[in-house]
Amino acid sequence: MNLIREIWQSIVRRDPLSTDKGKSELVFLNVWLHIHPAKVKKENLKFNHSFYLGFITFFLFLILLTTGIALMCYYRPYPPQAYQDMKDLQFVVFMGPFLRNMHRWAAHGMVVCVFLHMCRVFYTGSYKKPRQFNWVIGVVLLLLTLGLSFTGYLLPWDQLAYWAITVGTNIGSYAPFIGGQVREILLGGHTVGEAALLRFYVLHVAVLPAAIILFTIVHFWRVRKDGGLSRPVWKLKPEKTEALVTIGAPAETAPLNIAAASKDKTYGLMEVVTGKPIFETVTAEEEADTVFSYPYAFVREAVVLMATVTTIMTMSIFMNAPLEELANPAKTPNPAKAPWYFLGLQELVSHSALLGGVVAPTLMVLALIAIPYLDRNPSRRPADRKLILWLFTFFVVANLVLIVVGTFFRGPGWALVPPWVHVISGAE
Amino acid sequence: MERRLQQLFFVLSLVALALILAAAWQANSPSWKTYQKQFLQLEAQGEPNAVAKAAVLATPPQIHQTLLPGLQRVDRCTTCHLGADDPTMKDAPEPFRYHAGLGPHIASRFGCTICHGGQGLATDKEDAHGNVEFWQTPLLSKEYIRASCGRCHKEGDVPDVPELAEGRHLFETQGCRGCHKLNGVGGSIGPDLTEEGANHRSPDWLERHFLAPNAVSAGSAMPNFHFTREQARDLTYYMLSLTSEEMGTFFSSMRSIPGPAYGRQLFVEKNCVSCHAVGGVGAKTGPDLEGVTKRHSMEWLDEQLVNPELVYPGSAMPEYDLETNARKALVAFMAVATSDDLKSILSGKPRAQSPEEIAIEAGKQDFSRFGCVGCHGTELQGGVANPNAQGGEVPSLLHVSDDYTKDEVIAIIRNGRVPPIDNPAGPPPPLYMPSWKHLLSDEDINRIADYLWSKQQLKKDSW
Repeated sequence: MNLIREIWQSIVRRDPLSTDKGKSELVFLNVWLHIHPAKVKKENLKFNHSFYLGFITFFLFLILLTTGIALMCYYRPYPPQAYQDMKDLQFVVFMGPFLRNMHRWAAHGMVVCVFLHMCRVFYTGSYKKPRQFNWVIGVVLLLLTLGLSFTGYLLPWDQLAYWAITVGTNIGSYAPFIGGQVREILLGGHTVGEAALLRFYVLHVAVLPAAIILFTIVHFWRVRKDGGLSRPVWKLKPEKTEALVTIGAPAETAPLNIAAASKDKTYGLMEVVTGKPIFETVTAEEEADTVFSYPYAFVREAVVLMATVTTIMTMSIFMNAPLEELANPAKTPNPAKAPWYFLGLQELVSHSALLGGVVAPTLMVLALIAIPYLDRNPSRRPADRKLILWLFTFFVVANLVLIVVGTFFRGPGWALVPPWVHVISGAE
Repeated sequence: MERRLQQLFFVLSLVALALILAAAWQANSPSWKTYQKQFLQLEAQGEPNAVAKAAVLATPPQIHQTLLPGLQRVDRCTTCHLGADDPTMKDAPEPFRYHAGLGPHIASRFGCTICHGGQGLATDKEDAHGNVEFWQTPLLSKEYIRASCGRCHKEGDVPDVPELAEGRHLFETQGCRGCHKLNGVGGSIGPDLTEEGANHRSPDWLERHFLAPNAVSAGSAMPNFHFTREQARDLTYYMLSLTSEEMGTFFSSMRSIPGPAYGRQLFVEKNCVSCHAVGGVGAKTGPDLEGVTKRHSMEWLDEQLVNPELVYPGSAMPEYDLETNARKALVAFMAVATSDDLKSILSGKPRAQSPEEIAIEAGKQDFSRFGCVGCHGTELQGGVANPNAQGGEVPSLLHVSDDYTKDEVIAIIRNGRVPPIDNPAGPPPPLYMPSWKHLLSDEDINRIADYLWSKQQLKKDSW
């Protein structure tokens, strides 16, 4: 018995969890958990503050990583074997359809959740000082997610994949000067072919996952260094808004009021390279508002994890990922559509190639990156930011409307056809 | 609250476990296992004692597949059709019945789908039989299954399948290529037919289409050729056999089909005798072919037939666009041809032709081969319906010299022409003269013009 206890102690190396010290040590002695603080603010855990969208996105990414590695064991990235491997997954690999379905639905889910997460951060004004740059990293992660989804879209090498990527890369080629070259480098030629499949595969399983992991690490690190999640809007104190002092990012104006308030506790961070210790002053009221991460934060995250996993699994049992006929460059489906998240752009391209292929996407990305630097309004209160909330809402709704129109209301020849009208196409 | 969350976590974990088990159960109970169990019971019935019965019944379920790299396919049909290669199963119920009469086409080398169609990779009935969305070649019905012979037997006569040769002949003589591309050659008014055999069109549709194009495909520009039922059937067979799939050398009929007899037939058809002699009998324009197979290698001769000018610069020999088998057959004939053969061939062709006649004959062949006859008729009579063109039909070419000079006609062939419209408000006529300059050499076009002029009916004297 003693030996077992000794072995267990050698692994966990912490006090029992019944003690506060043990709860703290659980977090900061563990390499995986120490991205959390030992204690978190109670209000920040509220579901209707963050909806845990960042966590859901991350968990979906974990599902994608595990199912993706399993799928790699069954996949050869060259035509037409790539397509045959899809059929093998469907017909002979044990639980192959389940595996592919999970990967497919988690991928779509991740695109949706990353976007919703961005909306949440925007509406709560959480991109404001000191979190401006983390918003920019978030935009990079959004683009990487789209890139991962787009490169993965080609891999089944069926008609759906082939023509979606053909249309998608065509939209990109409208960019002046570089568009054509970028497309050529991406495809390894002028059309989607063997070279394109191999390149998309390399991007999908090596380059982009590595990039997204690196940026995710930075994203999480900065969330922590910026003092965890932003305070829920309903907890904002009017007079304190400006003077929020944060570990690692002392404002020049922040007073080092060490010996001031009696009941306040001051935490110091020593051994700072600048030689100047950094302090965070926590009022007694705030102190009472915090709870240990164990179990309060962890149980919530665990529930969100399991909810995400069960949702994806349920979808995967009942809905099959699409697989059309083998890619055929000689047979263009009518209409040929890009992946759904690019259909807004394709819709714009159908009106003007310059607008949809160049101006709109460039402006969208630049505007998203610039938001925290253009929005000089320090207040996070919705009442103080009516104009920008309306603008952002317009941006979101416009995107959604375009995507819905492109997905459901466009028939052969990109003619406006409502989804309830059945059009027979293909017969000459 | 905290307790509730912990309970929720526990419940969700159980749900996840249940879902994994459900997915595993779903994956573990495919329909083919049921068939295998039934088959084992069928087999066990024939066993003499209980021990042997038990041994048969204990066979673990497994997927059977035939790997056919030469045909670029994997057929898993025998996962359910377990008795296909077992003669004792000749009276067994489907799907276990023995497949008799395969001849040289043993199942382990040819698989099933190359003849039957369907989706060989699939392991459940509906998908395997291929009548599902996004699968191009569903199972062929018994009536049409012999059409599949043409997938490998691309040339010559296929034993027991006269429909294929007849369909191929109709295709080449009725001018189908005028509108339809096949293997890269042909017009673009109608759809490309290179992969028509893998186009998810039912044989029934094809057959009705040949009988009356507009009845199954409203507004089709395809003229009604007034085919008989047999001809429609022949063409349907030929269509079903069309595929651009690469068949490995083992499967192509090249080794078995080309023989001197087919070569002799080609020798006559292509009019080789109008330039060549064998053993002094025949024309003197080209070299005497006696012993030619001893003077040159097979490869050299083959290349000479593909591209005469490349092998022998300045050669006056035309390119005949022969397929591999045809070339092999011709070479095989040349190896055995004697002056007596030539005499008998020439007895059907009383006199040697002059260069002009040769050019006109070549023009006639081009006119047929490139599909001009599809619209203009085998006798240049025209008459194919073309709604809303002036006159409502494709014009006859028998009087073309009345209205055009030869150069103007050559220009029309080169550049194409849209026919004058009858009613400007109506839809454009479906048929038009395509531009041929990218498909035909100037020499071909000149020969066609020569051919047209040779057929012009004389002007009336009163003009």
